Amino acid sequence: MAARMEIRFTVNGTERCVPAYPMARLLDVLRNELSLTGTKEGCGEGECGSCSVLVNGELVNSCLVPVLQVEGANVRTVEGLATEVLHPVQRAFLECGGAQCGICTPGMIVATVHLLQSKPKPSMDEIREGLNGNLCRCTGYTRIFEAVKSAADSMTPEELKALTTVTGKVR
Amino acid sequence: MRSLPSSYELVAPLSLERVLALMAEEPGVWTPVAGGTEVMVQFGAGRLAAQRLVSIRELRELRTIAERGDELHVGAGCTYTDLRRSSVIASEFPMLSTAAAWTGSIANQNRGTIGGNIVNASPAADSLPALLVYEAELILISTRGERRVPYLDFHTGYKQTLLRPDELIRAIVLPRRYSGYVSCSRKVGPRNAQAISKLCTAALARVSGSRIEEIRIAFGSMAPVPLRLHETERVLNGSEWSEYVLRLARQALRAEVSPIDDIRSTQEYRVAVAGNLLEEFLRSLFPKKENAVLERWNLLSAEDAAAEVLSCCGSHAWAKAVAAARPYKEEAALFAHASEVWHGLSADDWMEAFRSHPRIGERHAEKATTAASAAWSAGEQRDVQSAEGDVKRALAEGNRKYEERFGRIFIVCATGRQPTEILTILEQRLGNDDEAELKESAGEQEQILQLRLKKWLSQQEAI
Repeated sequence: MAARMEIRFTVNGTERCVPAYPMARLLDVLRNELSLTGTKEGCGEGECGSCSVLVNGELVNSCLVPVLQVEGANVRTVEGLATEVLHPVQRAFLECGGAQCGICTPGMIVATVHLLQSKPKPSMDEIREGLNGNLCRCTGYTRIFEAVKSAADSMTPEELKALTTVTGKVR
Repeated sequence: MRSLPSSYELVAPLSLERVLALMAEEPGVWTPVAGGTEVMVQFGAGRLAAQRLVSIRELRELRTIAERGDELHVGAGCTYTDLRRSSVIASEFPMLSTAAAWTGSIANQNRGTIGGNIVNASPAADSLPALLVYEAELILISTRGERRVPYLDFHTGYKQTLLRPDELIRAIVLPRRYSGYVSCSRKVGPRNAQAISKLCTAALARVSGSRIEEIRIAFGSMAPVPLRLHETERVLNGSEWSEYVLRLARQALRAEVSPIDDIRSTQEYRVAVAGNLLEEFLRSLFPKKENAVLERWNLLSAEDAAAEVLSCCGSHAWAKAVAAARPYKEEAALFAHASEVWHGLSADDWMEAFRSHPRIGERHAEKATTAASAAWSAGEQRDVQSAEGDVKRALAEGNRKYEERFGRIFIVCATGRQPTEILTILEQRLGNDDEAELKESAGEQEQILQLRLKKWLSQQEAI
């Protein structure tokens, strides 16, 4: 039997200290302890990408991350993207109809942010690869890929720069 | 049923020494976890047997890629993303780069590690065949010290390895001596991303002329362990390339592999595809320089060569001249000379070629040349033959008017053209004067003969 321990990490720009079992999945800690329910659970085995978050800027499936491994890390969830207004990637998904039932959407948006960090003007092949771990059973992907393209085309240099810095506040 | 996190212990010592000390204290009790892409899947599914885990994810010393003289030392904790970003891996060990890109999704590549992949010992893992053919070595470490083992020997049975309970893989050592080699890796899966392979392969070869100096072949999912095909290699090493050697190699491969039927594929499929992938690789090493039909035709007597090529254009003068200019080194040379000869012919010779075609919409030529020519005409005019009655009648009427006006049959390259389009062309050309129309007919015949030459060279090659 393990004991709970205090795990410290930064979530969307705010430092948090959460009592948790070290093997608790980051996904469960975010949703149940921090009430950040934007991150969804789909398959729970790293195949579908619904639980995508950024850890120190890297895209990960939070269902496969034991929370002890984010001790001291900077975690960014979909809640950390919008400020007073929607994040440009969120706006593009809305405008292009890149969401239907919505379960995959937070993961798609986080994966898109991760893609645009390193490839601000991605080709269609790069978009397909960047989102290859995010499954959607509704849209058929076309509108999602169009949303990514539209986000990339419409983002200002300041917005692109902001991708790599945490701007949001935990609600 | 998900596992309860309270039932599992997870610790994260801050140094490699402390991890090793913990593993030495209670050998076999502590299971290392790096990116968690395997352990956490088992955990999520309630199937994780190990109850005490030690995180090695944060150990920087396991995450370096270092050039050490004629070796490249890849830390076992390097993620697939680390491998993909390494320029030295991309240039010197491209199959490892490629396999890293095949593995899982971007998120999984950010977490999964090469060392984890080796220890997990799945026979389907995409990067392991590459390590086998690059003849990697593993540096294993424990509090007792380090030892180096050839990766070839590491997997001893299904999910069984040489790793002792207190040992970790510290690094994978790759010998840097493959600049003169050709390599090829392939993955066969149901989709491009995120798929576990039905089978995968990595192969490396050095050739000189038509001789295989050295070859190494490995497959995933073809045995209980990632498999080097030593017997198949023995057949090929030092051999002169031939169809016979290929047959022997495929036989050896069949005898050497032992795949199973499982959820992803069948034994039969895997064996067949593995043979095809081997053949594809071997053929790529010895590309055919010459078209087989051209090669054979180049050696025929002048008379036979002319008779054969007459199917492509019904002028005996053309066929004789084209055959006389043999041998052609490549197809393009034949195509160019064929057109040149055609344009240099007399009007009478042109007429002879025209007469070898059936009227558009009809089946029999006025002066048929060869059976092949007749069959090709039928193919070229297939759409016209199946046209509606109205269109066919209009074509017949057009043909009659045309022959009355010009005194020869109407020539048009029918391939790829719809009957109504041909009818429109026919009506337009009825307005030409005789000289312009003769030139236009000759141009159409040139298109036909070029298409037929290509068909002739490709059709028979497949036999």
